Amino acid sequence: MSAYPSNLWSIPLLVVIPILVAVVVNLVYNRVRLIKVISILSAVCLALIALFSSYGYHWFTGLPALRPETLTFTFDPSFPAWRLALEFYFGPLQQVMIFVMSLILIFVVAVASGGLTKRQGPYMGMIFLLFASAVIIIMVNDLYHLWIAVEIGSLVVAGVVVGSGTSVSHKAALKYTFFSALSGAGLAIALALILGLTGYSNISDAIRYLQSVNLGDMSIILYVAFAFFVLSWIYAGGLAPIHPLKSEVYGASFPHGTAMLQTQSKLMLVAIGIVMLRIFGTLPFVREVMLAISVITMMLGVVMALIQTDFRWILAYLIISHSGLVTVGISLGTTEGLVGGIFQAVNDVIYMTVLLLCCEALYYFGGKTSTRNSLGLAKKAPWLGMAVILGTMAASGIPPFNGFQSELILIQAALKVGLPEVAAVILMVSVTTFIALFRAVYRLFLKPPETSETVTEVKVPRALYIGLWFFVAMTLIIGVYPTIVVSFITPVAQAVSIPWYL
Amino acid sequence: MIEVTIQLLGFIAAAALVVIGIAGMLFLDNLIKKIISFTLLSDGVNLLLVALGYVEGGVVPILIPGMSVSEFATRAALVFPVGIVLTNIVIGVSTTAILVALAIMLYRRYGTLKASKVLKGERR
Repeated sequence: MSAYPSNLWSIPLLVVIPILVAVVVNLVYNRVRLIKVISILSAVCLALIALFSSYGYHWFTGLPALRPETLTFTFDPSFPAWRLALEFYFGPLQQVMIFVMSLILIFVVAVASGGLTKRQGPYMGMIFLLFASAVIIIMVNDLYHLWIAVEIGSLVVAGVVVGSGTSVSHKAALKYTFFSALSGAGLAIALALILGLTGYSNISDAIRYLQSVNLGDMSIILYVAFAFFVLSWIYAGGLAPIHPLKSEVYGASFPHGTAMLQTQSKLMLVAIGIVMLRIFGTLPFVREVMLAISVITMMLGVVMALIQTDFRWILAYLIISHSGLVTVGISLGTTEGLVGGIFQAVNDVIYMTVLLLCCEALYYFGGKTSTRNSLGLAKKAPWLGMAVILGTMAASGIPPFNGFQSELILIQAALKVGLPEVAAVILMVSVTTFIALFRAVYRLFLKPPETSETVTEVKVPRALYIGLWFFVAMTLIIGVYPTIVVSFITPVAQAVSIPWYL
Repeated sequence: MIEVTIQLLGFIAAAALVVIGIAGMLFLDNLIKKIISFTLLSDGVNLLLVALGYVEGGVVPILIPGMSVSEFATRAALVFPVGIVLTNIVIGVSTTAILVALAIMLYRRYGTLKASKVLKGERR
């Protein structure tokens, strides 16, 4: 018998480090400089772990499966065995998602320590816990951890929103927490139903059991579990019909907080979407339901963005709309759809971070984000003006930026399965995003001021400009060389995909 | 004829608690009553999980000295739902604490606990 295989040490570090940082920055809550150093160093450390860690598993309970033919232990999830497996998996998809998220974390903590928040320690702690919850959801291969991480994530979202300290943010947090209670309970019920039906909490084991038996009348239980899963999926990404709640959360937070919130939200959408596809994807009508929710979200989000008169709220609704773009790809379930959906999630968090950092910069020029104001900021801050125009082009899917590549894959995927109407909606979202964003950018940045009132300026943190241009460069590099990301996504998409059946 | 078992009664009670909890959260106007409704919902989910792990004539899932492993394997209640219930209790307490903290903040600002007034931003 071979030696007992050791768990991969680097995987739990991606969760343990942010939790430890959250505790430490809370303890030194009023020492701003120390908090800044600890936070940035930890974020860099997390990015390096994500970049250099080997692929593999980490088990929390039970024993790995035993191969009877070789009498060796294995962590391979495709190998059938009865196990209590609470496990994390770190592969190419997890690597690219966690690495991009940790890059955003680095600049978010650098900008957050610039002084907009009064209580630096607890606020920074919340940002790190948000990261930890998203990492768990991305890596998890059991329903128990998935449920816990969704619950932690929703409580932390409320904390980040409250961090901006306004009554609007308190109300948004209260509403969001109430709904999180509903969806969290729903996910717990879904977990209980799948556990009762299969006896497994490990997702791979449960799927293998479901594939090996004929459920007959009991398949209704699987549909009920799917309904509860959909509730938590909708909640995680702010999909229709709860998009007003999530957009309120985005609009009520500081823009850098929103950058982290939308990253967590989109990557959760991908991770939970893939879990749903794996467990329920072969059931009739499941993908149609997911697709309908996605298309409605895309359309509602972008229409709501068009009628907003505040740059923050325009971005809030566009984030919702683009979440629909991500889930359209996942819902199609084909290899192209999955590649497009996951690639769109990665691209989306990058170009939205550019736009949100531009919005954050407005706080340093007097804090006016209403598009009723003409500030003419491009003349005062030309680098900022250029960055916001490039960010707008990336978000609108204009070549050669990254948004173009993923939207092209999504349109091709929709056409390939015979759904030209979905492709048309994706195009419509792209065009409307450009109109909504460019209207705001023109008013705030390009149009000369109508009044003689001068725009006040305090020193914009250097980290904000560095972050802004770093992510602009990323949109361009990924746009020109999409294979940098797509090569990580494709093997996973091929493994999970299910042929479309219309 | 469906046989009425303790497990079935547990499921019915759990469903009743969940429905009452959701209805309270959606239709009651007082923030504190909404929070209490949430605790009912959480208790309903816990009861569902406990009922799921129930084994007729079973024993607690602890291997007592003198009990054979085969007897333990056939009679012990499912252990995993118990673990989930413990976690759900912790999550429920955390969520309640956050909801109460937010309700206090909003009460201080608006002087009322009526959700309809607080969410519209009206002071008492």
